[in-house]
Amino acid sequence: MTQETRPGTPVLELRNIEKSFSGSTVLRDISVTVNRGNVVSIIGPSGSGKSTLLRCASFLETADGGDILYDGEYAMQGGRYADKDMLWNFRSRFGLVFQNFNLFPHYSVLKNISEPPTLRGVSKAEAEEKARLLLGKMGLSGRENAYPYQLSGGQQQRVAIARALALEPEILYFDEPTSALDPELTGEVLKVIRQLADEKMTMVIVTHEMAFARAVSEWVVFMDGGVIVEEGPPDLVLQNPEMERTRQFLTNYEK
Amino acid sequence: MSFFSMMLKMSEGLSKTCAIFFLTLLFSLPLGMLVALMRMSRNRFISTVTRGIISVLRGTPLMLQLLAVTYGPYYLFGFSVSRNKLIPVVIAFAINYAAYFAEIYRGGIESIPKGQYEAAQVLGYSRLRTFLRIILPQVVKRIMPSITNEVVTLVKDTSIAFTVSYQEMFTIGKQIANSQTSFLPFVVAGIFYFAFNAIVDFGMGRVEKRLNYYR
Ligand SMILES: Nc1ncnc2c1ncn2[C@@H]1O[C@H](COP(=O)(O)OP(=O)(O)O)[C@@H](O)[C@H]1O
Ligand SMILES: [Mg+2]
Repeated sequence: MTQETRPGTPVLELRNIEKSFSGSTVLRDISVTVNRGNVVSIIGPSGSGKSTLLRCASFLETADGGDILYDGEYAMQGGRYADKDMLWNFRSRFGLVFQNFNLFPHYSVLKNISEPPTLRGVSKAEAEEKARLLLGKMGLSGRENAYPYQLSGGQQQRVAIARALALEPEILYFDEPTSALDPELTGEVLKVIRQLADEKMTMVIVTHEMAFARAVSEWVVFMDGGVIVEEGPPDLVLQNPEMERTRQFLTNYEK
Repeated sequence: MSFFSMMLKMSEGLSKTCAIFFLTLLFSLPLGMLVALMRMSRNRFISTVTRGIISVLRGTPLMLQLLAVTYGPYYLFGFSVSRNKLIPVVIAFAINYAAYFAEIYRGGIESIPKGQYEAAQVLGYSRLRTFLRIILPQVVKRIMPSITNEVVTLVKDTSIAFTVSYQEMFTIGKQIANSQTSFLPFVVAGIFYFAFNAIVDFGMGRVEKRLNYYR
């Protein structure tokens, strides 16, 4: 598929990303473009490199080769990252929501959300006001002073989403945001993500929730063994995949 | 000599016992952090050397280390560290305890999930800020019980200063015991150490409680 089927300006461009861990290749020539306002879902079996791809895009892993561009600016070019200060600036353009939340346990909910913006020059008062607003949006008004351990997994994940949003990123990454949750708690998190999609938040979501992926995303990428096997609109990839490997994977999931 | 006058005499040494105790903590707690960071250094040379030093300090008796610091310089170079015995005593104690604290710190730091560092990095925390604001507070909470253990041991270890005849409480007690051929001074010493540690326990318990606002 080409840009014509997905109009818009690219927020994130990953070009020919390569990554290996001690000799074994985990990502092989991966290229993904995410346009403003679009939701891209990445699906695939465990170990296919989905997390590694998000971690490369968010500089938690150092890719071995390829380009990473945010708004057309190079964060990495030909396997070489921009300098430290530049990367720090690039970090404000994306947010990352982890599978196991990674909230700071010794901080109150409010401080978890409001401290990071103050590192970028936002005043404490302003950051706290923003945090309260976001908590309201996450359906968590009144939990400002709670500590993470006092919240359910679903609530913790919503705090983590608020924490990411507080930095006003242009693109939000989710790495299996509901995989660590009890089944009855996944709904509340998916609802929040869906709401963000309705507001045209640009997102990349690694997920095993196929129905959800189908409902929210403009584009679905199926990865296996470190390569993109197939990609396209959800109705095609999830309903009518071309590749046998995709079909196999999806059948396993329907069971 | 009456029981009461014994206590009085020995309590004069108590201030010196306290001096060893507090000065050792004052120096060894921060020094331990430095040693822990060197032990975890990515520089292989630094971490290996530090590891060797820690293992010697933990693998040999504190008494031996105390003798080495107090008399070693005299035998080797013909001078003493100081006339005031408190100085070599505190040096030996601080270095020895720093080794123990370093291993406790290291265990605490390594027990913090990698995700905490990653979340902090993505959110724009610098490495120093991540350590000071995110990691260290959690480490302190986790290691508090182990620190309490070491502090309680330190109270009792102050008595080792008798080997270099530093006039702390136990040394005085031992002198009285010799001159009076009485066992009573040791009983008095036991009571003092026990009372000291009861206070330490109480204090550390309070600190642990204050850190209990989160899990
Ligand atoms: N830090 C690492 N060191 C070594 N191997 C790793 C590391 N991270 C991931 N891998 C390997 O890379 C492959 C892809 O992992 P990952 O990106 O987590 O897959 P997914 O998220 O799709 O389950 C796996 O085989 C995994 O074992
Ligand atoms: Mg993964």
